[in-house]
Amino acid sequence: MTQEARVRAPAESRPASPSSGEGPSPRRSRTRRLHDAVTGYSFLAPNLVLIGVFLFLPLVWALLISFRETNGFGDGDFVGLANYQRLLSDPAFWRSLANTVLFTALVVPLSLLAGLGCAVLMNSVLPARGLFRTLIILPMAISGVATALIGVLVFDQNTGIANKLLGAIGISQVPWQSGGTAAFISVVLVTLWWRIGFNMIIYLAGLQGISPELYESARLDGAGPWQRFRFITVPMVGPSTFFLLVMNVIYSFQVFDIIFVMTNGGPGRATSVLVTYAYERGFSTREQGYAAAIGMVLLLVTLAFTALQWRYSRTRDLVE
Amino acid sequence: MTLDRRTFLSRTALSAAGLSSAGLLSACAGFTGSDEGSGGSTGELTFTTWGTDSELAGFRRSIDAFKKANSGAEVVLNAVPYEQMFTNIDAQLQSGEAPDLFRVDYDNLGTYAGRGQLLNLEKLVDPSLGEEFTDAMWQAVQFEDAPYGVPHHTDTSAILYNKGALESAGVTSVPTTLDSAWTWDEFEAVALKLRADLPDDRYPFAYNWQQSGVTRWLSWLFQADGRFLADDLTTPAIDSAAGRAAVDFTASFFPRKLVPANSSVKSSVYASDIFFSETVAMTFAGAFLLPDADKLASFGWGATFSPRDARGGGDLGGNALVATADAKNPELAAEFLTFMTTRGPMEDFCKGSSLLPTRKDLVDRGIEFAVRPELSTVFLQQASTVRPADAEQVASPSMAQINTVLSDQLELAFTQGQSTEETLANMTSGIAEATAS
Repeated sequence: MTQEARVRAPAESRPASPSSGEGPSPRRSRTRRLHDAVTGYSFLAPNLVLIGVFLFLPLVWALLISFRETNGFGDGDFVGLANYQRLLSDPAFWRSLANTVLFTALVVPLSLLAGLGCAVLMNSVLPARGLFRTLIILPMAISGVATALIGVLVFDQNTGIANKLLGAIGISQVPWQSGGTAAFISVVLVTLWWRIGFNMIIYLAGLQGISPELYESARLDGAGPWQRFRFITVPMVGPSTFFLLVMNVIYSFQVFDIIFVMTNGGPGRATSVLVTYAYERGFSTREQGYAAAIGMVLLLVTLAFTALQWRYSRTRDLVE
Repeated sequence: MTLDRRTFLSRTALSAAGLSSAGLLSACAGFTGSDEGSGGSTGELTFTTWGTDSELAGFRRSIDAFKKANSGAEVVLNAVPYEQMFTNIDAQLQSGEAPDLFRVDYDNLGTYAGRGQLLNLEKLVDPSLGEEFTDAMWQAVQFEDAPYGVPHHTDTSAILYNKGALESAGVTSVPTTLDSAWTWDEFEAVALKLRADLPDDRYPFAYNWQQSGVTRWLSWLFQADGRFLADDLTTPAIDSAAGRAAVDFTASFFPRKLVPANSSVKSSVYASDIFFSETVAMTFAGAFLLPDADKLASFGWGATFSPRDARGGGDLGGNALVATADAKNPELAAEFLTFMTTRGPMEDFCKGSSLLPTRKDLVDRGIEFAVRPELSTVFLQQASTVRPADAEQVASPSMAQINTVLSDQLELAFTQGQSTEETLANMTSGIAEATAS
């Protein structure tokens, strides 16, 4: 900026005097808009570069690879939509897709409910709530792989804690690692344990933004605890719920580490999900083209779910 | 189980971070390179491997000896965790950043050679080099009749058994020679005795076919004198009487509770871990696990031979060393590979790491492991059951895809009750698809 520009800048930034009867000239207005745009994009540039290089570029690359048949090395051969056609007749893909949807359908509502429940408890006058908050948030601080290794210890069907506890109360051994349904439940439980802390934090922030006067006036009007929760708390944390819904659906569709470590998709394909299946195809059998096609399907499904949530969520922008 | 896993993980991390200590160990090198002081070749090589502490120490000692013999040569060792090894190598090969040399298991060697990623050593090594190795091991590094690596060491599975558990079940002796190894029927009888004697939450044995170990299931097929690839190495041959016998026998372990239900091929539970925790009375294990067993098994244990059916058979464990097709100094790379398989370095590495040599002279003379040396002979003899015809199938360039087929179909047979006929039919179509691609 030149000395003249620095001197002139304050004058330019002043609003036009209402009594003067004239606004800024069109030329000045254009210059200012241009200046604002350059400033805005300058601030955005680092993030745009990062998103472009690490998100959009790989995305486009994956799309291009999904049209090729590869063997792990070299560019492979262009095969058009053959990889997508192969998906249609691949039972392992359909099983993995169904498992992914079921996993999402179980984990998202359960983790939201548990997260909200914990947040309400932690927002009340609970003794040692700082300690409880820390305990619930703790899994968030460790990696998914570490969480899954703890899950393996808990749900090992020969020596795990879960079966020992069940045995102590007279319940027969559960085949956590050899029964399809039990294995699926075990990965859902570990995922919930991992994710509830994050949901609780977001809900806690949402709860602390609700004015106490709302609850007070509801009490004066005779509303009971359940009515206050149902008609004040739930709608007022709507923006948090919307955010968490979108994030949890995306996380659930992309689940990998916990399943990979705990069950590796087994027994059979009982816990195979789209990302573990894509990993298997991409890195075990080195069919990156086919794996990329699975990834593109996952992207489309995730986008479709997010768009539906965006379209039909009525409380995402609710404020007092 | 956890203790062993933790030990393994911590070792891996320490190995990656603590090469300096391996270097310290190398100062105590127990052998001298045959070309010591000759001056030799010059240049720099990069070498990527995974390894336990003892394996890395062995590599470091061999590298030091090579450098001593070739004063102008430098070899940079890069140790990575096994879990990342081949995804890293693939990415490096794709981007032209691959090391000059790397360690590879025999299943994967064919995959890399068949895709043009490895250096053909035919014109770079002495034509008589192959005569130094056992026939099966030299066959394991061949692709289209040319060597694409050197067989650095091998390993194969034998049975580790809990002495107390066998005695309690009335099994008072185990085979002490390869010729007297249990037949399948005898092995089954021992397992049934153990089943009758053990409580419900303990099992007779576990097999080490979990995850990437699924190739070890092929030992049963080989013992039944079967093949999974015909002589042309592309046509599936698993749908045979031997294939049926192998699937029938191994699938029957699960409903009869001879093995834990959670020890199938896709399980995250490793056979050795549940042996150390005394959940099973016997486990199939490679010699590389002897040091772990020595530390972690708090009970008396021994080793005996894998069972035999029509013949003895074993898995082709261990690893080769290979050079990449774009190695900057192919001559020096070939020289290094040759050096690593000379008698001194191989004997030192195998003794220290509880692994088996591939050189005929060492096999004939025998070696003694640093840990439980009296068991060396069991594993050495067991390795002799691996035939060149077995090795050439396992070294197929399609082995990675075939392993996925085996894993999927065996898992269905073992845990979902899929019939033997359907399992063999699916394996046949899967293998045909793999070899055609």
